Amino acid sequence: MADNHADHQHIGIPGYLAVFAILIVGTWITYVVAFWDLDAIFPGANTLLALAIAFTKMTVVMLYFMHVRWSKELIWLSAVASFFWLIIMFAFTMQDYFTRVSGVFSS
Amino acid sequence: MSTHADAHDHHHHEPGLQHQFENMGQQEESVSIGMWMFLVQEIMFFGGLFTAYMVFRWRYPMAFAEGSNHLDAFWGGLNTIVLIVSSLTMALTVYYAQKGMRNMQVIMIALTMLFGTVFLGVKAIEYTDKYNNGLIPVAGWNKKSTGAEVAEKAQAFAFPWEIRTEAADAGHGEKKPYINPRGDFQWNYGHKLVEQAEKGGYLTADEKIHYYSNGVFDPFKFQEKVRLFYFIYFVMTGLHALHMVVGLLLMAWLLWKAWLGTFSALYYSPVEMSGLYWHFVDIVWIFLFPLLYLLGRHFIH
Repeated sequence: MADNHADHQHIGIPGYLAVFAILIVGTWITYVVAFWDLDAIFPGANTLLALAIAFTKMTVVMLYFMHVRWSKELIWLSAVASFFWLIIMFAFTMQDYFTRVSGVFSS
Repeated sequence: MSTHADAHDHHHHEPGLQHQFENMGQQEESVSIGMWMFLVQEIMFFGGLFTAYMVFRWRYPMAFAEGSNHLDAFWGGLNTIVLIVSSLTMALTVYYAQKGMRNMQVIMIALTMLFGTVFLGVKAIEYTDKYNNGLIPVAGWNKKSTGAEVAEKAQAFAFPWEIRTEAADAGHGEKKPYINPRGDFQWNYGHKLVEQAEKGGYLTADEKIHYYSNGVFDPFKFQEKVRLFYFIYFVMTGLHALHMVVGLLLMAWLLWKAWLGTFSALYYSPVEMSGLYWHFVDIVWIFLFPLLYLLGRHFIH
């Protein structure tokens, strides 16, 4: 039992502080770039960048704060599966709205 | 379970081992699978709201941008930082629980609770601002005002952020005195982004149908679309705040257990599971902040 717990120290305090620093910097970047007009590059670029940063922050939180990196495969599976189902919900809903045009069926 | 513990004494003398598990390893695995299943359903739960957000933002992007620009990104950003700090103290709580350091656990849980409370306090300030400006989407839930006290209010003390908001509004749209006898939702901040979008040629035909009546901009129709944004804002942040309250109750219980010195290197599952919940709530906010507060900022030049 005891040796089973030895590896539970994870990344230690410097590691946690590093993750914390990434999250703070990520928040700061999110805030700053929100005021740049990236839609000049392509429409939705602002949202895409904001979501990309949010996904990075989420990944770091899940891997290190939530210890998924050291967890069993079943935990990995549940975490990934939840996003898989989320994508199905988003994709199946939005394929309807994305393909509608203004007119009889849109109002 | 203590009665059963004696029967299983021959096992390992594990302090937190429940009788239905073979050993601590099996118990830990079962507990974390259970917690993760709960979190998966929470993700789907919030996912439904994110779907609603996607659908309506896709249909009324300018109304959403206009509504979002009136939220205070400073308070939203501050709350993001506050939650990240609380996530750090939560992670450290688990760390110290694993080391069996009681005092540091107690300090870290107390700090987590402090930051959680600060978060809810900031939320209360924001909600009060919405209440005072007629931005709660339910009719009758806003501050009722006949306009008689408006002149009086102009003389009253103002906090620095209130002055800043009004200065921002001056550039954003025409600031009218707050007159709302029945406490309805009202939108007094103009439609500059719609005009800008029409000039720029990126106002969609669908939006034009929903903001215009007979080819003329219809403030009431537009207000109803902004109202949708505020519905989504209040339901999403409200549900998130509710999760924070539950998290705080969980922390209070954890603080009590940690105070009693329950957790050690051999038994710390409750700390780790509460941590998972807390980090999940933090992750939801990581998405809510850019999606609700920052979505239309780049339209202002």
